[in-house]
Amino acid sequence: MHELVEFAVEKALELGASYAEARFEEKNGTSLTMKNGSPEGLEVLAEKGMGIRVLVDGGMGFASTNVLTKESVAEAVKRAVKLAKAASRVRNEPIRFSEENFHRISYKVKMKKDFRDVSPEEKLELLRKIEEEVKATGVNVPMRFIRYYDQVWHKIIANSDGAFIESVIPRISTTYNLVVFENGQMEQAPFVQRAFSGGLELIEKDEPWKWAVKDVQALKKLIYEGKKPPEGKVDLVISPEVAGIAVHESVGHPYEADRILGREAAQAGESFVKPEMLGERIGSEVVTVIDDPTIPNSWGFYLYDDEGVKARPRYLIRNGIITEFLTNREYAAKLGQRSNAAARAINYNREPIVRMANTYLAPGDHSFEELIEDIKLGVYMVSFNEWNIDDRRYQQRYIGREAYLIENGEIKHPVRRPILEITTRALWSSVDAVGKDVEFYPGTCGKGEPGQGVPVWMGGAHARLRDIPLRRP
Amino acid sequence: MFDVNELILKKAKELGFGDVVVLSHEMNRRQVRFANNEITVAKNWHERKVELFVELEKRIAGTTITELSEENIERTLKTLLSNMKGMAPKEDYYGIAEGPFEYRDIPETFDKAIVELDEPNEYVERAINAALEEGAKRVAGVLYTDHDRIYLTTSNGVEAFDEGTGIEISVRAFIGDLESGHGTNSVRVLKKFDPESAGRKAGEIASLARNPEQGPEGKFDVIFDPLAFANLLSYMSFMTSAYAAEAGFSFLVNKLGQKVANEIVTIKDVGNMPNGYGTRKFDDEGVPTRETAIIENGTFRTFLLNTSLARKYKTETTANAGLIMPHAWNIVLEPGDYSREELFSEVKRGIYITNVWYTRFQNYVTGDFSTIPRDGIFLVENGELRPIRNIRVSDNLQNILESIAALTKESHHVHWWEVDTPVSTPYVLVKDVGITRATK
Repeated sequence: MHELVEFAVEKALELGASYAEARFEEKNGTSLTMKNGSPEGLEVLAEKGMGIRVLVDGGMGFASTNVLTKESVAEAVKRAVKLAKAASRVRNEPIRFSEENFHRISYKVKMKKDFRDVSPEEKLELLRKIEEEVKATGVNVPMRFIRYYDQVWHKIIANSDGAFIESVIPRISTTYNLVVFENGQMEQAPFVQRAFSGGLELIEKDEPWKWAVKDVQALKKLIYEGKKPPEGKVDLVISPEVAGIAVHESVGHPYEADRILGREAAQAGESFVKPEMLGERIGSEVVTVIDDPTIPNSWGFYLYDDEGVKARPRYLIRNGIITEFLTNREYAAKLGQRSNAAARAINYNREPIVRMANTYLAPGDHSFEELIEDIKLGVYMVSFNEWNIDDRRYQQRYIGREAYLIENGEIKHPVRRPILEITTRALWSSVDAVGKDVEFYPGTCGKGEPGQGVPVWMGGAHARLRDIPLRRP
Repeated sequence: MFDVNELILKKAKELGFGDVVVLSHEMNRRQVRFANNEITVAKNWHERKVELFVELEKRIAGTTITELSEENIERTLKTLLSNMKGMAPKEDYYGIAEGPFEYRDIPETFDKAIVELDEPNEYVERAINAALEEGAKRVAGVLYTDHDRIYLTTSNGVEAFDEGTGIEISVRAFIGDLESGHGTNSVRVLKKFDPESAGRKAGEIASLARNPEQGPEGKFDVIFDPLAFANLLSYMSFMTSAYAAEAGFSFLVNKLGQKVANEIVTIKDVGNMPNGYGTRKFDDEGVPTRETAIIENGTFRTFLLNTSLARKYKTETTANAGLIMPHAWNIVLEPGDYSREELFSEVKRGIYITNVWYTRFQNYVTGDFSTIPRDGIFLVENGELRPIRNIRVSDNLQNILESIAALTKESHHVHWWEVDTPVSTPYVLVKDVGITRATK
């Protein structure tokens, strides 16, 4: 396969490309679903192919094939070159890529317990365990949708600037939707996921059934003991899970350089952030947000991006100041910078575009007790269901699933669906203290056309927001 | 590719599988993406793949085969067999449809002119120019052309072929940071393709949306543009699948035969709609596609079903397989009898929403959700439109359906990034819709 990848790059240069990149990807894995206790079937994932991206006369073309012969790859290269040439005629300025240092390197994430050696029946036992543990709580959960998924993701990336990167990254995940029905009322924990890069041992150690049990017990308690949340200006403590979705939506996305410069305007949207806002204050002194692909065993893990650039932690906000955007080579060049390796593609048949990896609110110096001890009236939002944010990533909303009243420094009864609806600047300016411990939660980040759902982690430490206009449903 | 299908079926039967479905695709797709009035990338996909579904004593499994050599086919089937042998059966599996069936050609689903189209960039330029003529400064979007061939062979006597084409465009036009509009056009035959209309609509809305003021909150009568309402109906289409209901993702759970919408509301799935972007001759088990009334005059009539789920609920399939999960082909909200002008004149003080995205549910079974208007939003006061910004629709899906007060005669077929299942819908007036906004 190495030869075929290099052949594609050479062929493109021969046909007149000024830049060529070929990416072979192979994914092998399984998925299993259990619906209301019944196994819904096994899905075997076996996919491979090659994508070729070229620049010709400043236009960009992309073609892919899943027929991995020299003839078929040559045909795809030809198509990519032809498309790039035609596209160059509808451009105002030619596309250029930033200068980078490239490596020839191979890396892999090791599995202590290789899921390829484990039978589907044994994997199904993991789902059965979630079923049984949920049932053992005695909580009435009439709808239970649980999914297991694993895959080994093998990539070989070569480009005409000298990169040659081979990687093997196994990924494993469980997801559930649990509907609790008690006392004539219904609450739901939908699409809760636990996910890692690595072997089966990570899921076993994480014990997803414990998360499921915690969720259904919290929902039952919410039904029986939940009261209206306070309205008006209160203090709000958000958990690492809620901080995670907030940094993903209101920091990660608007800091994507392709969005800032309009390339994503049609579908995944634009950004309130402008290039000249580097160095501007967006949050309080205690807010630092990092996006780091290199966190071992993370769901968004990689060491080199899909343009062959070496990954590193990216400080998007440092002490409240906008310090860095997420870039690929095209948009790094436009900004006069170096790429910070945010180019990712979800499959061989997709182009690499600017994406997040593992985005988190960096820890501060407060214990959880210190965060809540001087709150007279407030809410602790532990998890969320509904969330969304506008096109420019400025007006957002998160609704608490598990949440509690804080009164005179103590956690009291659960509260129903407290709504945080706030602007990005107000959100990050309102944070006056951040906790010490960081936790991560997995997600699938949507962007691109056609859509590319990439695995990411979101998280951080607890954070305390002062004087927040909290709403009720 | 029927030879490949036959080979797979023969080998699967030799290995002892019961129900077998082999669905092969030959796909040729082109994309042109554009932004800031220029093409950002042009792409081509040419792929062959076989989707395979097998059953072994009520154990079911599926995979996709892309390497179609005899050795790999055999290896794949043996892998499935060995993996399935130890597995627990799916007790509520009741088989696939009994063929053979007869199929009719559906008008306006194939056009040689799209297959032979050498260069679609001129359509992009026409859309961009139309938007610029309406006053836009920046235009972004995506154009696709599609040519698909599908070959279906099942162990129950089905052998079916369908060939389809399509061309579609999605255009977003911008004036400043806060003023934008969106238009789409999705058709199956080239002579009906109208990229200018998409560009013009995007440009017009952007122009109308100049200098928006902060929007209000509260309960408002809302006119949803077809682009906006299609988003809600596309989300709803998933909830009409019996699978989604069983899994806890539908507000229609336990509501068969009940009133879930205003009497003027009839929502159908039309699998055999001429010129429909989701149209196919047959579903994944070979049943000829048809029209199914999901909500008829406000009453919820049926979930969308495949054969197995239909037998489980002692009814007939609606020809919506998905072997595991039934799904809609083209959702149609039947139009009403208002002209657009009449609909707008119904509203003394309300809001016109031209597009939404990021529809997310607080609770799927209750149907509580919110969604964010994007592009032009307008306060409607005595026939006048005043641009506003920064509001959110926060309501309940069933409540929205029950509060539909008027529908136009004019209907639009919508399919784009945010409307995955194609939807045909008129302009829709909904009473007392919850509108919220950030206050800090």
